[in-house]
Amino acid sequence: MSWQHLIWFAAAAVVCWLSGAVLAFRSKSSWPVTAVSLCGSAIFFTFIVGMWLSLERPPMRTMGETRLWYTFFLSLAGVAVYARWRYKWVLSFSTLMSVVFICINLFKPEIHNKSLMPALQSVWFVPHVIVYMFAYAMMGAVTLFALYLWLRRPSRRPSDEEMGLCDNLIRIGWAFLSMGMIMGALWAKEAWGDFWSWDPKETWAAATWMSYLLYLHLRPRLRQDHHTAFALIIFSFLLLQMCWYGINYLPSAQGASVHVY
Amino acid sequence: MALQWGYKRAFLRCLLLFVVGVVLQCVVGDFDNGFLRYPWGLILAVNYLYLLILLHFQRDKWRWVNRLSDHYASVSALGSMVLITIIFGLTRQDTSTEGVVGLLGFSRMTSSWPFNLLLFYFTTTIGLSVVDDLHHWRQRKLAAMMSHVAVFVVLTCGMFGSADKMRITVNAHLERPVAEGVDANGVSHALPFAITLKEFVMEEYPPKLYLLDTCSETSSQEFLSVDDASVEGEIEGWYLKVERMYDMAGRMPESSEWRDMLHTGAAPAVYLSATNSATGESYVGWVSCGSHIFEPSYLFLGERYAIAMPRRDAKRYLSRVDVEQMSGERARFDIEVNHPARIGAWRIYQVGYDTARGRWSSVSVLECVKDGWYSAINIALWLMLAAGVVMFITAGGRSLVRRGAAEPKEKLSNSKDKEVKL
Repeated sequence: MSWQHLIWFAAAAVVCWLSGAVLAFRSKSSWPVTAVSLCGSAIFFTFIVGMWLSLERPPMRTMGETRLWYTFFLSLAGVAVYARWRYKWVLSFSTLMSVVFICINLFKPEIHNKSLMPALQSVWFVPHVIVYMFAYAMMGAVTLFALYLWLRRPSRRPSDEEMGLCDNLIRIGWAFLSMGMIMGALWAKEAWGDFWSWDPKETWAAATWMSYLLYLHLRPRLRQDHHTAFALIIFSFLLLQMCWYGINYLPSAQGASVHVY
Repeated sequence: MALQWGYKRAFLRCLLLFVVGVVLQCVVGDFDNGFLRYPWGLILAVNYLYLLILLHFQRDKWRWVNRLSDHYASVSALGSMVLITIIFGLTRQDTSTEGVVGLLGFSRMTSSWPFNLLLFYFTTTIGLSVVDDLHHWRQRKLAAMMSHVAVFVVLTCGMFGSADKMRITVNAHLERPVAEGVDANGVSHALPFAITLKEFVMEEYPPKLYLLDTCSETSSQEFLSVDDASVEGEIEGWYLKVERMYDMAGRMPESSEWRDMLHTGAAPAVYLSATNSATGESYVGWVSCGSHIFEPSYLFLGERYAIAMPRRDAKRYLSRVDVEQMSGERARFDIEVNHPARIGAWRIYQVGYDTARGRWSSVSVLECVKDGWYSAINIALWLMLAAGVVMFITAGGRSLVRRGAAEPKEKLSNSKDKEVKL
């Protein structure tokens, strides 16, 4: 398996995800929708596993490789939300976002080799990245949902169920952010003796984590004020972008972070 | 948008702390945690915990204590930490004291008064919440309680134990016992044990061949990994075919030919042909990354391009060391990245080697780290990990806003706590 095969696997996966998104509006039963969408995720995961085997290391080292996981988990998050709450539009959103990330990987291919620096050869590497990518996918999904609720006709106020979905996705995403951060801290202690060293990546991870935590603390008192809730969700997601790849371009982080990749 | 008085007051408190921090920063300079060295850090930590418990049980008498542990305090502390952490992230940390950023201490954020005061306030609000959680145990809030306890322990240990941490860099030479090293400031410190490097072992990835543009002094993004002696492939229009490959090779002075050689300083060498796919011009010759003994070899392709082999990437490296403690007890450890050796409160980390010599390095750079607060922080982190799992399992279905929930009671009791329009 090589990076050149991505287009074929991605095409097959996107056909499944699109079929699922269309079926969500047409089918009366949810299981064909879920099955077809999961089939797409399985095809995409097959490519990831193939890359893993051919590279002889987890495909998690480069930005392009993390985008593979993000695409995969975004599709899974979409299916999970649909299966749990039957939101028909969510599969269209998750498919659109997955296509965007696939296109970035196709149009900006990165050279992948088998080298994995010794610091990355840790039992924490795979769970740390997977858990973080899942959290990012959940936060991406809830941001899209919040934008949808915020920008639709002003006369349609978000219902309690819709706000409840935002809360739940953030709660799950924050739980995974926490787990990813803790795994990173435990790994850092084994690798270089500090649980936390305020590396730029860690600083932005802390800001992101605290910003979502602020939402979780503030939301119970924001029963009617949806605008503040949505603004905080989007603000937190911007911090997450800075943490994920923004520091690669941030002047203050150049040459100062061991996490720039 | 309406901003309740409770929020205003709480955020004003944070602003006041920030201003006090700025004044202290300007007047006394960086926050020096030297006074927290053992045993004072531990004594102060115990007193701090006692004070939090005392404050919790006196909260009915002192209304200001309530205000340190209510919802507004949590939100303001979190909000302030988010803001100052963003400033932290946007500011280059380089110990500079120049300009406004340097004057306010933002370029040395972890030593700045505003950051430390806000962090202490944040920790105190969590601490009071933890005492309250433990006093009024609620099964429903299990994940939140676990998170509060874990974050509080981590922050408390991080603050009060910050001065106890020692990080000593040791250059261990083969068969030469060493019992001292230097810290980040270059100050020499004696270690409570002696380290003797018995062996340094390095595994490397296969060599890679790149196309060099000698005019622009850039190398190709694509490369050919020479996994064995029959590799072929194309790099930017040049078809490369490896004909011979030595994992360990050397060459005589004045000779361009590499030979198989099991000797210190031996380097990988590849004999290959390179053919331009468009013009058909072809070149053959040796390419090697060289070593501290042998000069590297390049295959020049006309005047502009050349095939080059950079030094091989390290796959893993390991130091086999004997550690002798002051009691006379000896032990042997294999130390590699992600696998430190542990001796009491000390851990010995593999951090480097003589990169000019690579696999032939006779010196290993080790870092000895003493962290007496390790166990407490480690337990708290695992608790936090468990809290994440509990939160994930218990999430779903329940909104953060309980239907029909009344407005916060604590603010209704205060005549000033009315909604203020911005």
